[in-house]
Amino acid sequence: MVEFQFLDWLWIIVFVLVMIGSGALFYRLGKRSESDFFLAGRGLPWWLPASSVYATHTATDTPIWVTGVIYKYGFAGIWYTFFSAWCAISAFVSTRIFRRSLAYTQAEWNTLRFGGLGAEMLRGWISGWQVFMNMFILGWVGIAMGKVCHYVFGWEIWIGLISFSAICAVYVLSAGYWGVIMADFQQGIIAFFVIVIVSMWGVFAAGGPSEIVYKLGEMGESWRLNPFAFTGWFEGDFPIAWFITMMVISILGGFGMGTSIDWYPEAQRMQSAKSVRDASYSIWWGSALVLVRNSIWAVAILGFYVMFPNIESTAEYEMGWFKLGFDFLPVGLVGFFFAAIIAIHLSTVSTHLNLGAMYFTRDLYHHYFKPKATEKELVWVGRIATFVLLIGSFFYGLMMEELTSWLIFALWLMAAGVWLPNILQVVWWRFNAWGYLSAWIANLGMSWMVVWILPSFGVIPKLPDYEQFWLLMILGALIYIPVTLSTKPEKMDHLVRYYAMSRPIGWWKPVKEEAEKRGLLKTIEPFKFTEA
Amino acid sequence: MGFIKKDWTPAQADEWTKEDWIAIVLSPLSYIFLTIGTGLSILLLPIGFILLALGIISALLMHLVIDPKLKVISSEFEKKQHEYLEKLEESIRWEDNDG
Repeated sequence: MVEFQFLDWLWIIVFVLVMIGSGALFYRLGKRSESDFFLAGRGLPWWLPASSVYATHTATDTPIWVTGVIYKYGFAGIWYTFFSAWCAISAFVSTRIFRRSLAYTQAEWNTLRFGGLGAEMLRGWISGWQVFMNMFILGWVGIAMGKVCHYVFGWEIWIGLISFSAICAVYVLSAGYWGVIMADFQQGIIAFFVIVIVSMWGVFAAGGPSEIVYKLGEMGESWRLNPFAFTGWFEGDFPIAWFITMMVISILGGFGMGTSIDWYPEAQRMQSAKSVRDASYSIWWGSALVLVRNSIWAVAILGFYVMFPNIESTAEYEMGWFKLGFDFLPVGLVGFFFAAIIAIHLSTVSTHLNLGAMYFTRDLYHHYFKPKATEKELVWVGRIATFVLLIGSFFYGLMMEELTSWLIFALWLMAAGVWLPNILQVVWWRFNAWGYLSAWIANLGMSWMVVWILPSFGVIPKLPDYEQFWLLMILGALIYIPVTLSTKPEKMDHLVRYYAMSRPIGWWKPVKEEAEKRGLLKTIEPFKFTEA
Repeated sequence: MGFIKKDWTPAQADEWTKEDWIAIVLSPLSYIFLTIGTGLSILLLPIGFILLALGIISALLMHLVIDPKLKVISSEFEKKQHEYLEKLEESIRWEDNDG
């Protein structure tokens, strides 16, 4: 337990009031329309959604698992955090295509890209899955906050889980995405500032940068400084094959939509940006900041390792970065640190409350239940959905006992079988709704089979996660490719409309030719020599 | 830099060109260099400073190559955005269209 003084409590109270106030201030803007409640009216300059991308992906559980992989694998563990690099290519490919579609959500985009019954089934499925997924994410970051509060105050886990998410709900319910984005901006600044302070404090507590390098050498652990310290091509628990898989998933994933679970909150930020250019830069810079932050954390954890090298318990060393803050910062700054943890937590919770509510309101209520709903009614439905998500997340959070196994399952495996279809839907005109739908159904069944069921019955050995990824990708392709080719392509009218608006990359020649024939595309004037 | 196109017409900017592919290559390289370079620079290792510099240079190059094109795509699309948004709203309010 950590002892707080008056100044520490003062920081916390002031910060919480500022965070709630800055969000709730935008109540009048948020209630104007569905577009305001979920996309801040689509008029934000790039740096606002960029700060939100950064703040959202700095959650309470993030330093826990970053610490876990760096403590275990040394600086090379940084590649575990590299999945956010999908934004590198996405910023200039799928972000551009998605922003041009103007779809509120990925589920809505499905009906623009595909047509007919298949597209509607996809919209229903993706939106339902996203409502569930956001509740699930809220549960897992909530339980991480519960653990931090247990570590700091000795509280029961459920107290930390419920209390801070409930505080966050105040400004999300009142101002919607306007509240989320404005609070994220200041939360992002606070979080980055404090992460730098605490990490550098930890580095100097370990003797400073040069001393960390020297001590690691003295301990015979210099390999921990090598970002490419792998255990062999296929051998050990951190092989090069894993690294290559991670690079493929994260970097090439940027050609698709939904190749990472982070795509869904980022897609909302893309549509809230005022232009295609702003959308691209918001995604690029937000993620660049995430990667730089991970690297700063990694150095602090190397310092933590130098000070506490022999911790066997994962649960204990995973709390290393928090320990640096709470044990080494002076009185007064500890409260500042905890206030930053609250900022980190609220920024993630607010995003997923609003995002889950958007999928429910836009895709389920507005599109299927009540297409003639008024703007006022839609804002109220958004608020009710936000509240239901909040309550649901408490139940999910209390059900999750083992944080890491859930996280790895969600990050790797629930996406494995649909990783390639998520790219194909963007780059290949012939890929249709039935192919995509079959990929989802197959993946849901096969991920459980490959990860849990078949190994428990001894049918296949328990495979490392990167092998599971490739296996699921191949098994999935054996289903969705035949389904795609044996069913009709989407109607040309629909594809041409989508192409003219979004201008996708990849294999779209027949659609492009048809669009040109119909005069829907501006033709480039051929180059002419002019006489001097 | 004659190799890199600076002046775009809206129709040219809508096509996927070599400038896009240069950005597609430079962008992940920049992320990789920034990720490793930041950490190793804080540890005061010389290789860290080199990698960090490479990360910054590749980000700047990427910006120089892609920004003129992005500006034209954006301004052209914004002209049509209002009309597209109206169509999107019509599609979600399908009951109105079906009578």
